[in-house]
Amino acid sequence: MDAYLITIGTLIIIYAITVYGLNVIVGYAGQISLGHAAFFGIGAYASALLTTKAGLSFWEALPIVILLSGLIGIVLGLPSLRLREDFLAITTIGINFIVEALFLYVPYFGGALGIGGIPRVVLFGVKLKGMAFFLLCLGFLALVIFICWWFTRSWGGVACFALREEESAAASVGISPVRFKLLAFVIGTMMAGLGGALYAHYMRFISATDFSFPMSITFLSMIVLGGMGTLWGPLLGAVLLGILPELFRPIVDYRILFYTALLLVMIRFQPAGLLGEGSIVHKWLILKPAGGRP
Amino acid sequence: MTDTLLQARKLSKHFGGLKAVDQVDLDIHPGEILGLLGPNGAGKTVFFNLISGVYRPTGGTVHFQGDRIDGLPSHRVAARGIGRTFQIVKPFASLTVLENVLVARGITRYGTFRRLWGPWQSKSETRAALETLERVGLAELAERKAGLLPLGNLRRLEIARALVVGHQLILLDESFSGLRHEEIAQLETLIRRIRDDGITVLLIEHNMRVTMGLCDRIVVLDHGRKIAQGKPQDIQENDLVIEAYLGSRGGRHAA
Repeated sequence: MDAYLITIGTLIIIYAITVYGLNVIVGYAGQISLGHAAFFGIGAYASALLTTKAGLSFWEALPIVILLSGLIGIVLGLPSLRLREDFLAITTIGINFIVEALFLYVPYFGGALGIGGIPRVVLFGVKLKGMAFFLLCLGFLALVIFICWWFTRSWGGVACFALREEESAAASVGISPVRFKLLAFVIGTMMAGLGGALYAHYMRFISATDFSFPMSITFLSMIVLGGMGTLWGPLLGAVLLGILPELFRPIVDYRILFYTALLLVMIRFQPAGLLGEGSIVHKWLILKPAGGRP
Repeated sequence: MTDTLLQARKLSKHFGGLKAVDQVDLDIHPGEILGLLGPNGAGKTVFFNLISGVYRPTGGTVHFQGDRIDGLPSHRVAARGIGRTFQIVKPFASLTVLENVLVARGITRYGTFRRLWGPWQSKSETRAALETLERVGLAELAERKAGLLPLGNLRRLEIARALVVGHQLILLDESFSGLRHEEIAQLETLIRRIRDDGITVLLIEHNMRVTMGLCDRIVVLDHGRKIAQGKPQDIQENDLVIEAYLGSRGGRHAA
């Protein structure tokens, strides 16, 4: 396959992994997050530092990275998730800016220069690049999708759906709002951490701007486009929004304008996303969304 | 305390200067249908929210089966076997009727992390949920989206959910309001049957006629205070109650 296509494909898969995490938080548990890029960045920086400064291999670093992302998810989620809707949105934006600023201004994180020289992933003594790395990412994506599928079928998942629908009614049937919002948040941030780690070892150079607020908006757009709370929506959204900028390369300066217009059109005409209930695609294929639409 | 299921003592909730519930004592005996009556703004729903853990009381205590439950959050009160409905219905709108009841069946799992990972739509759980739906007469609508049901059915759905949780006590918050005549009659039958199955019922009601016919005992609140309690016929003739409803002494047309 063409190296160009593999590059685009790998990035799309990495974004998809991250966006699946966001879908658990926003789509399943109904908690808006506009700071997902922060957790993507935490995964990337953690893995980059552990492999360049601490000398660990990617595989040794990965469990630490994922646990750390989850842990920071708990620390930041616990106070934030007590807030609702607009306030939660603003708080998560704040988290994104603070984390980005830390990456940028703390010398240990490489400052404006970022971190370079991140090693490639080695598997069975082979350095993975091109197609091989693409397949590795695909494997992780399959795992993430499987976890999401399992989650929607588990009691933990349905507790999140109930919270998304009616918080007080959920509490009246024994669902602790704090516990289950946090559960969704931790699963989501761990997936973002995994995505970030793969991103770091793919780009091999990262800097704070890769994880800024517009990236969070892009992640959210992918879910809104694909279908919030559906099993395949995040993948579809990541593929479409990953390919479109390449197709529209001549008008790259207007990309954000285009995204915004697309979001508005979606919200107006297809609020459930392309794969959500009542959408055009849904009517063609009669897909059953996992756990219903938000 | 042997013959009280739930015991509230000097229970109060103040919102700033407003005493929404003020020093209310209330006992619920096992197996009874107890009506909580009062004009608008009397503090009935606030009282419910104090018992079910939505609000933390300003003062006073609640004991349930001998254990103190005041100040516990909703989900922990539910775990003790107290189910409730809401005055403004709160279905899980995008889930089906069956799924709404299944969510409630998770009550035994939501408290333990380890038990969260099993499938929630298993055959045995689904069968049990369908039985509950049959009890409230919603079995035929099991696959319908809850958000599309008319009010009467939603009230039944909430009762189904409350029944799964409340194997000891269910709290019904104005379950009759907005219903048609025949629906009211059906719901009265349902509530009696629930009581006959051994579940204690505390209900808030506006409709005097329904309350008088259905309840074994009635407690009347006005301006957050308990002004009367007793058998329905005593309540009907109580001057304080008549005054609370009509605003003046005299007329006996309150019902």
